[in-house]
Amino acid sequence: MDSLTNLGEGFLTILTPENMLWVVVGALLGTAVGVLPGLGSAMAVALLLPVTFSLDPIGAFVMFAGILFGGLFGDSISGILMNTPGNSTAIAGSIEGHKMALSGRAAQALATSAIGAFIGGIIASVLVVFFAPTLASLATLFGPAEYFALALFAFIAISAVVSDSPLRGLAALAIGLAIAVVGVEPIAGATRFTGGVPELADGIDIVVVTVGLLALGEVFHVASKRGRVDDYAVIQTRGRPWLSKDEFRDALPAWLRGTTIGLPFGIIPVGGSEIPTFLSYGAERRLDARRKNPMFGKGAIRGVAGPEASGNATAGTAMGALLALGLPTSATAAILLAAFRQYGLQPGPLLFERAPELVWALLASFFVGMVVLLILNLPFAPLWAKLLKVPRHYLYAGITVFALLGVYATSAKILDLVIMTLVGLLAFAMRRYGLPLAPLIIGVILGPLAETEFRRALAVSEGDATVFVSSPITITLYTVLAAAIALVAVGRLRRRSRERRSESERVSA
Amino acid sequence: MITTTSARPASAWLTRRTGLVVPVILVAVSVALLIGSATMVVPTTAAPPGPRVFPLIIAVGTLVVAVLLAIDLIRNPEPQYTRIQAGARGIDDGRTETVPALGAAGLDEIAIDGDESTPLRPRSNVRALLGALGTIVVFIAALQPLGWLISAAFAFWGVARALGSRRPVFDVFVGFGLSAAVQLAFSAGLGLHLPPGILEGVLSWIR
Repeated sequence: MDSLTNLGEGFLTILTPENMLWVVVGALLGTAVGVLPGLGSAMAVALLLPVTFSLDPIGAFVMFAGILFGGLFGDSISGILMNTPGNSTAIAGSIEGHKMALSGRAAQALATSAIGAFIGGIIASVLVVFFAPTLASLATLFGPAEYFALALFAFIAISAVVSDSPLRGLAALAIGLAIAVVGVEPIAGATRFTGGVPELADGIDIVVVTVGLLALGEVFHVASKRGRVDDYAVIQTRGRPWLSKDEFRDALPAWLRGTTIGLPFGIIPVGGSEIPTFLSYGAERRLDARRKNPMFGKGAIRGVAGPEASGNATAGTAMGALLALGLPTSATAAILLAAFRQYGLQPGPLLFERAPELVWALLASFFVGMVVLLILNLPFAPLWAKLLKVPRHYLYAGITVFALLGVYATSAKILDLVIMTLVGLLAFAMRRYGLPLAPLIIGVILGPLAETEFRRALAVSEGDATVFVSSPITITLYTVLAAAIALVAVGRLRRRSRERRSESERVSA
Repeated sequence: MITTTSARPASAWLTRRTGLVVPVILVAVSVALLIGSATMVVPTTAAPPGPRVFPLIIAVGTLVVAVLLAIDLIRNPEPQYTRIQAGARGIDDGRTETVPALGAAGLDEIAIDGDESTPLRPRSNVRALLGALGTIVVFIAALQPLGWLISAAFAFWGVARALGSRRPVFDVFVGFGLSAAVQLAFSAGLGLHLPPGILEGVLSWIR
């Protein structure tokens, strides 16, 4: 029961008035950023990174916990009320959530989402508390070849399996990997692709890329849409913000199922909560179809409960993977990794030994943050929605200013602002021509890890390439990957031939 | 409203394939990686595989993807039609000015309005986009010489304007309010360094 004692000490560390204040401030700021359309949890952490610079490490990470989960809670608010999910991870929950809102049950949809996020997050945090140390000791089984297999798995999964068009996914991934190799490489110390600019020696910061890609990209996207009729109106919330006993009973199994689906995805690097939320949505939909009067399409409470719970469950265990393995499985985790490094800490198996006080304080603040957010969100979600009434041009002008501030304040380099602007333009072009953004982020995040482990593995084996498929772990990973690719390919071919058939039928008729 | 204008074949061909800019970017990335790898100074201590192998794999992969994507884009162009708003319907928040004939970019094309079933090519408001981009470029250039307070206020003002705000004078005050609040909270409050610029003397007594 070491974990419990440690967690108890973590609670003692953070239950000071000052640290509690940071949790609450973080939760408020995180939710505020999360509510804004197009900006999610990752952006909340990236934009608010400079805010934490003047705090001591524990205060900063406690605040991060609030920001992180605040962003996740906030995501779904705009999705439900405006049908513009704050983040790709909130899309699945918004489908039925928005329908609930349209049929006058906006307040209940928000409550379902908030409670779901709470349940998923709490269960995930409990698991992380008990299993993160075990996971950390398991990490010793992972050598260079295994880590490389994990990274490759993530690359292919996010770009070819999850994306609608594998070609466009791979194109995005390629750009991300190219960004990742800029700078002095860690093994031999060669300076690469800096074009003689000394400032580029440190590489291109993940914060610069994420803020450019998501925040400025969104601003450019909104600008390009100016003058278009948009049918996104904020739905008014009326009535009780809590759930009746029946509604609660209806949603409870979906919350738990969603959590179960979401938990494993925090450890598998497939780019965050997108996949589990959609899996959970699909599962609830199929289960619903078997009921006497199916609710899906009319605003099913389970369609909100499942995805919301699974999204937060994934985010919770992703923190476990980050702390115990040093493996960032989502953009949010990658930015937190950057934050850890800023304080001279390297997440991974050794973190629990080197900075136990900080780790356990962080874990304890997950729980505190979650409770604070539930209190903030259950009664006040409609108030957050008021933020969406600020005219769009002011919202995005404000986002621009904070993006510029965030990037400049982290490094004080004008060059970073230039790179961010270029990345923002790139993001705009990618969105315009249907390239997914997630593979690019994963490429930037895991690119350095993939290369380092690739070279280490080959150096140890003295150039023998069979080292990559010589352990049960790597063989399993590659087999699962091959199976997933085959499954997706077969599904696509079938769908295409079906479309072709129906088209030829239409033509002949 | 259906307006038909004859389009020059060559420009029409390209109009539906502007997506080719993506393969062009990919080729540029690949070429940059190849040149960088060729000119790289590799420390003699580097154990094989050296620092060149991984970037070269990426460069080749990028090139392959670029070619495949270009073929896909040439064979499957975007729909021919774009939506044009009928007349002067003001858009966001009902406060936007009339969009000055969206075809102002000078492209010959067929425009339709109202038919839901026709696949449409997305249309971008180039003027607003350039407005936002230009504002950010000016901000970057002005940050060091003029300081945070002035350039951030301008950034807010410019982006709001590009995105359709019609109250330029009011926005100046909002912009200065925001940048001053940030200066106070982050520079005076949290101790971050924001460039003071020409207001150095004025700001020094605040901190």
